[in-house]
Amino acid sequence: MKVEALNHFVLGNKVAKLPIVQGGMGIGISMSGLASAVANEGGIGVISAAGVGLFDHQNKQDKDRYVIALKAEIRKTRQLTNGIIGVNILVALSNFHELAKAAIEEGIDIIFAGAGLPLDLPSLLDQDSSTKLIPIISSGRAAKLIIQKWVSKYGYIPDGFVLEGPKAGGHLGFKKDQIDDEEYDLEKLLPQVLEAVKPFEEMYSKKIPIIVGGGIYTGEDIYYFMSHGASAVQMATRFVTTEECDASLEFKQAYINAEREDIVIIDSPVGLPGRAVKNPFLEEVYNGLRHPFSCPFNCISTCKKEQAPYCISLALYNAKKGKMNNGFAFAGTNAYLAKAIVSVKDLISSLKQEYLDAFRKKLSPTL
Amino acid sequence: MFEKLQDLIANELSVSKAAIKRETHLQDDLGADSLDAVELVMTIEEEFSVTIPEDVASNLRTVGDIMNFLENNL
Ligand SMILES: Cc1cc2nc3c(=O)[nH]c(=O)nc-3n(C[C@H](O)[C@H](O)[C@H](O)COP(=O)(O)O)c2cc1C
Repeated sequence: MKVEALNHFVLGNKVAKLPIVQGGMGIGISMSGLASAVANEGGIGVISAAGVGLFDHQNKQDKDRYVIALKAEIRKTRQLTNGIIGVNILVALSNFHELAKAAIEEGIDIIFAGAGLPLDLPSLLDQDSSTKLIPIISSGRAAKLIIQKWVSKYGYIPDGFVLEGPKAGGHLGFKKDQIDDEEYDLEKLLPQVLEAVKPFEEMYSKKIPIIVGGGIYTGEDIYYFMSHGASAVQMATRFVTTEECDASLEFKQAYINAEREDIVIIDSPVGLPGRAVKNPFLEEVYNGLRHPFSCPFNCISTCKKEQAPYCISLALYNAKKGKMNNGFAFAGTNAYLAKAIVSVKDLISSLKQEYLDAFRKKLSPTL
Repeated sequence: MFEKLQDLIANELSVSKAAIKRETHLQDDLGADSLDAVELVMTIEEEFSVTIPEDVASNLRTVGDIMNFLENNL
């Protein structure tokens, strides 16, 4: 593979100019604004379906409101870009199937499905859908299982995988004691996943691209993973501090103000560890000062509603709107590196430059 | 049939056969994670030549749940 410059990323009949996927960020952080801006610069822009329509008070009684809202968001994004766009849908969402079906009906380019194994996702495609299906995984074992299941039940080979390592933001697919264990570093997981998919690529003569994410922040990081077998990278945290990101200024400011030690691991009510920027709200939760709520949503099937000290969707929605006293920001380990809010265009040009510098340094290390 | 299932589970999850009773909970008692559960279902499908639908598979919590399914579907 050529790695001199950031190359096109080929996904069957879909081609993105850059091998950069903007990771989906739930409860209003990556919507049409950010997704279209990234797609316009040649990357893959991703809307997160988590929370879409949840706080849409006008249609509160309408049980189809989530599907309607997601379809509307996809159309809005389409109007803003001709680039490649995807939707990120958590398998743990109670209405995962309805949302995935809606995205396919809208002709979305890619569905990214994480937080659970999307074992029956191919059953939602029909003859003429052109949507690509990319599960998000944290191990070679999961990749192998999904390929075996999809092939045996549906004759469908996954169009790729996102391998998300333990430095990512939001909910993590690792146990708490694995998060800081070097055995689970993305650098270690990537060769294992490449190894796991290789026999299937040979058996079916089909490339199964691996997109890596979690802690990738600079063009140099991109260079490292691309030269170690990744086909593309997924980045989320770095896209938060852009003008186009759909979060409030307060949310972005939380990243800019954060120091390295402010990025912490929390126990999310949905039963997974998560990474976030520490703030007074989280401290109150930690000290048992927040109290149970009544759940109006039933949005996540694994949510331990009865024991939860707060509603995760509501807390993240408050943060999206800038009400940081009643919520908090999810963030990747590198969120503290942000110094200013820039445009997506400028961010992409810095990444390209950093990538090129890393490549040159590799050629002549004395430069 | 129960013995065959015991063997399969003991093998898949690396636990002792004696620990596997009808009321044994796969996740709480045997420490199976979501990937183990899927692997187990695939092995059972192969060894017993049955198909376990996705919605059934995701609701199998105990060894007894699996036995019930097998008893009703073989
Ligand atoms: C604010 C925020 C929200 C996120 N929401 C989601 C989500 O809804 N679904 C998902 O699969 N991943 C989610 N993630 C994970 C990202 O898509 C991405 O894979 C990960 O953060 C990559 O690591 P990085 O942030 O270090 O680049 C979220 C991450 C952040 C920072």
